[in-house]
Amino acid sequence: MAVYERNYRRYTGDLTAEFDRILVFPRYAYEQILRSRLFQRFMTLCLVWSFVLACLLYIPHNLGFIKAFQLDPEVVSRTFANFFTAKWFFNWFMLPAGFMAMILTFVVGPVLVTSDIRNNGLALYFSRPVTRSEYVLGKSLVLIILLSVITWIPGLLLFGFQSYLEGLDWMKDNYRVAVGIFVGCWIWILVLSLISLALSAYVKWKPAARLSLFLIFFVAGGMASVINLMLRTDWGSVINITDMMHVIWASLFGIEPLTTTPLWVAFLSPLLFCGVCLVLLARKLRPYEIVR
Amino acid sequence: MTDPTRTRDQDIVFDNVSKFYGEVLGVNRVHLTIPPGITSLVGPNGSGKTTIMNLVTGLLHPSQGNVTILGLRPDQPEQLFRHVGYCTQYDSFPRGFTGHEFLYSYLRVHGYDHPTATTMTQRSLERVGLSQAANRRIAAYSKGMRQRVKLAQAVCHGPSVLVLDEPLNGLDPMAREEMITVFRELATEGKHVIISSHILHEVDFISGQVILLNEGYVVAEGNIRNVRSEMEEHPLQILVRCDRPAALASRVFEQDGVVEARIDKDLDGLLIKTRDANSFYLAFNRIVLDNDFKIQVVAPADEDVDAVYQYLISGRKDEA
Repeated sequence: MAVYERNYRRYTGDLTAEFDRILVFPRYAYEQILRSRLFQRFMTLCLVWSFVLACLLYIPHNLGFIKAFQLDPEVVSRTFANFFTAKWFFNWFMLPAGFMAMILTFVVGPVLVTSDIRNNGLALYFSRPVTRSEYVLGKSLVLIILLSVITWIPGLLLFGFQSYLEGLDWMKDNYRVAVGIFVGCWIWILVLSLISLALSAYVKWKPAARLSLFLIFFVAGGMASVINLMLRTDWGSVINITDMMHVIWASLFGIEPLTTTPLWVAFLSPLLFCGVCLVLLARKLRPYEIVR
Repeated sequence: MTDPTRTRDQDIVFDNVSKFYGEVLGVNRVHLTIPPGITSLVGPNGSGKTTIMNLVTGLLHPSQGNVTILGLRPDQPEQLFRHVGYCTQYDSFPRGFTGHEFLYSYLRVHGYDHPTATTMTQRSLERVGLSQAANRRIAAYSKGMRQRVKLAQAVCHGPSVLVLDEPLNGLDPMAREEMITVFRELATEGKHVIISSHILHEVDFISGQVILLNEGYVVAEGNIRNVRSEMEEHPLQILVRCDRPAALASRVFEQDGVVEARIDKDLDGLLIKTRDANSFYLAFNRIVLDNDFKIQVVAPADEDVDAVYQYLISGRKDEA
């Protein structure tokens, strides 16, 4: 009989926190993404837009600027007193930020899981102390962090900046703007992340995955209108995720939405999309594809 | 394979395990106890080798029965993967990674901090002989180097169970020899090293224990010589080279259990088939001494994995 000596010693030191380990996924994904010049330019554009808005907020409070244009500071102050409202933030920040987030998802999303599946890399990930949910969270973080940088983080900074310029009363009167930016952006980020992850898991060819994303966001809108018209219902709108997000954001900001879709139907839409995406991910993200 | 002094918490145990992919059978009613050392999984394509490996690594869950790895259940990834290292048969490397980054990133996923992960990465690359190429991109590695970096990622966190799916595929003889040396080192450290391979003579050379699989069933397991001795329907073949083969043939043929004694010109000796090898060897000693034969070689001719595979798997297929 063979004699086996157990002469090695296992590592007994401290381990890093669980969340730290999940952050390994986005860290290496960023290395790839940040190399892309298209990405760099687009990110710059997104951040420049926030900077432009910050300038717009600042200009009415800059006496030197007002005087340079030979304007009366009092008239300017009165004119802009009710200018930077929830509606301004909705139209000038939320809608462009949401659109830019969608474009960024088109660029980054389709590559997240595809390469792991195509190269049979899932077995390597799942033979670590990582569960499937942690893997999904890790991969989603790639988009969550990037989209946060161009949506709610600059949004809240703008809100904070305007509060600083206008004072505490403005902040109290317009607290819905901050809530709207934060909650609205997070819902949108989650929807975008999960849809792009699910597509990335199923559609292995990048251009096809991008096209599928496009179909979901734009063509589904057309289909929703057709369903609503033909069946004389509002339920078709559930598949028009962009319109539904518009309704949700409008309600969060306390402004009138463009469509008459009931709010609960609007909230059902992202829930439905997220649920379907999670089911699809749970079915697809297995270390070995079981072919029957 | 079972040593009565060992407990289930020290081994890999399959307890009546079946795995079905829908209606397709992966493995069926597998009872196994795999002790430390090198164990090879042998069988034709689709026999269930990779299924067994995936069950050990928890990447698949059994449809029926239980698998425990050193007392741990595979549905506890947090504990299990501290003890298990897996080297897949696929070359799946993140794009643009160097050998060092590849190992380091997985160690960070394991929860090791930067200095520990760096040290472990260096040690592991050194072990497989890749220190010099650590900072080169894996895309520029040769096949042998890629196999070695895969082995390095499987051993880098110091697991006590190593599951290596066809680790010798595509390697030249020198690289194979180096890899086999690493496997042996790992086995002598007391680790469970489970290897799947199609290269039968290498399996014979590498491992003390084999598990032969066919169509989802374990057809034999254990030390290959013990497995061979239990195959009574196939008499053991013994090759003898001596000065008077014809005389020796007539003497041994008088013994009970000897079913054939044939002078084989190809093998340049006498090929004896016996159903009872132990009795034969005792009687053979007496015959040689009594008759003053000058023996050059006495060696079993079909006591290896290749022969057992032929009898248990290929032979049965032919019969069917």
